[in-house]
Amino acid sequence: MAQKLKNYIGGDWVESSSSITTPVINPATCETIAECPESTRADVDAAVKAAQEGFEEWRRTPVLNRVQYLFRFKTMMEERFEDITKAVVEENGKTRDEARGEVRRGIESIDFATSVPVLMRNDGLEDIAAGIDETTVRQPAGVFAAITPFNFPAMVPLWFLPTAIACGNTFILKPSPQTPISAGLLYEVLHDLDLPEGVVNLIQGGKEASMAVMEHPGIKGVSFVGSTPVAKLVYETCTKHGKRVQAQGGAKNYIAVLPDADMAASVKNIMGAAYGCAGQRCLAAAVVVAVGDAHDKLKEELVKQAGNLRVGYGLNETTQMGTVVSAVAKERIERMITQGIEQGATPALDGRNAQVSGYEGGNFVGPTIVENVTPDNILAKEEVFGPVLAIMKANDFDEAIDIINSSKYGNAASLFTTNGGYAREFKYRVNAGNIGINIGVAAPSASFPFGGQKDSFFGDLHGQGMDSIEFYTERKIVIERWI
Amino acid sequence: MSSLNTFGAILTYAIELETRLTDYYKQAGNAEQASASDKRRVKLERARREFVLEITLEAIEGLDEANYALELGDTSAAGQKQAAATAARFYADVAPRINVRDAQRILEKCGKEHTAAA
Repeated sequence: MAQKLKNYIGGDWVESSSSITTPVINPATCETIAECPESTRADVDAAVKAAQEGFEEWRRTPVLNRVQYLFRFKTMMEERFEDITKAVVEENGKTRDEARGEVRRGIESIDFATSVPVLMRNDGLEDIAAGIDETTVRQPAGVFAAITPFNFPAMVPLWFLPTAIACGNTFILKPSPQTPISAGLLYEVLHDLDLPEGVVNLIQGGKEASMAVMEHPGIKGVSFVGSTPVAKLVYETCTKHGKRVQAQGGAKNYIAVLPDADMAASVKNIMGAAYGCAGQRCLAAAVVVAVGDAHDKLKEELVKQAGNLRVGYGLNETTQMGTVVSAVAKERIERMITQGIEQGATPALDGRNAQVSGYEGGNFVGPTIVENVTPDNILAKEEVFGPVLAIMKANDFDEAIDIINSSKYGNAASLFTTNGGYAREFKYRVNAGNIGINIGVAAPSASFPFGGQKDSFFGDLHGQGMDSIEFYTERKIVIERWI
Repeated sequence: MSSLNTFGAILTYAIELETRLTDYYKQAGNAEQASASDKRRVKLERARREFVLEITLEAIEGLDEANYALELGDTSAAGQKQAAATAARFYADVAPRINVRDAQRILEKCGKEHTAAA
């Protein structure tokens, strides 16, 4: 019997009040590696109470003391680095290097949060009227929560938790029930930091726990990363319950390639963008738009390089692409490929029914390339969230921009070119929150907000960067006169 | 494992190589070189943790660990020079293939140290 995971509430590991569990399955070996409890509203309520009690002490802890915990958190994360990356691979299916990159990015968010003593400072003005001074201060706002996805089970929680607590708030994490183990390891590290009780709390579970987080009156704000329909639901539910919310949704990211681009080098970069994490990331390249006569050379190079990618179990260091997260995901991805072909697309490289020796039941989908994709094709319009790259054609740069801007999503878009003029126009005109120029994965570092427009983001303040300081604080204006 | 086709595969092979060399030099009674190999292992582990970023995870071609097999049966001075020469050749081949300058610098430095011992 696999280990049943626990919640972490008020500084203690506690059993969920529910006996119902969801198996956590290694997507390559298909072994059940843990049981995730379906935590209840009562569990969430207990976490909120602990976080509210913890807030009273924590908000009065000087900010310089608060960030000392984060310096230690970083050091201890480095010590547990390989354990955590192994857990990420085992529950998610990505490669070991991708898991290392993910944890590295998470640690960068801890680095960022150690700057909060500077970033929380505010401004003031003497003699705004005779003898009257006016200043603004940022204060912690209360209990915050994050509902995080399966695709970056260690990194995405760290987009939120370190900055939230550095600002003096208390925090509740509700990770994906498909990949809850990495979050448990993060909390093992946090437990060893000896933070005051209730500062960080972990609730394992699914829909009931998520709804309880969104509706609980004791939670000030919620961060979410996931699909667009759920992001929209989270946004609507949280705002209805008076919360601030940042909900990052799905994506359909386009890459335009101009004929002047260095084709071999560009494609090498596009490989990582399309097939990194088996395409299961909101910044994955989904559609490559070949402009003008770039098409033939681009397609030839894409098929050659994608065909050489070694698909396998992520714990093998030589694996270049791992599994998708589940049998359900594999079935959905392969069904969408089939639908795209039925709608007129042509497979140039078909990853359906991929097999890996020694892992015959594994949820592998090989690198897939489909061409002759038209704007109305499902593979041009809908998020696949798998290792599928669609090739479209545009006669010129302007048509490429029109194709990209016609998408209902606006998470990321990239351009490969050696022409600075086109690069500038692309940055200026494309409606997407993260723009890459000769970069396939336009992933902002921790000190910049993670962009997102249209159906890729619901809310006002994005995760990371200065937006996160705004999100996690209340600004108070003090107007002062001594008489 | 046979192909050194990823950042992690190369760094992990380098870490294993230095671990084996540490044991080898200890057996040979060469405490100075054993300590140097162990220091390199620690540095390489740090490089594997700190310099892996998703934008740099591009596939690497044309390197195979079979070309850098260590012969560690001979602990004589000549055998030690041979082992250091193999390690130096490994670092000389892999360093230019890593597209992160900080990691590349560490690999180059490891190679220089082995070259000096060869």
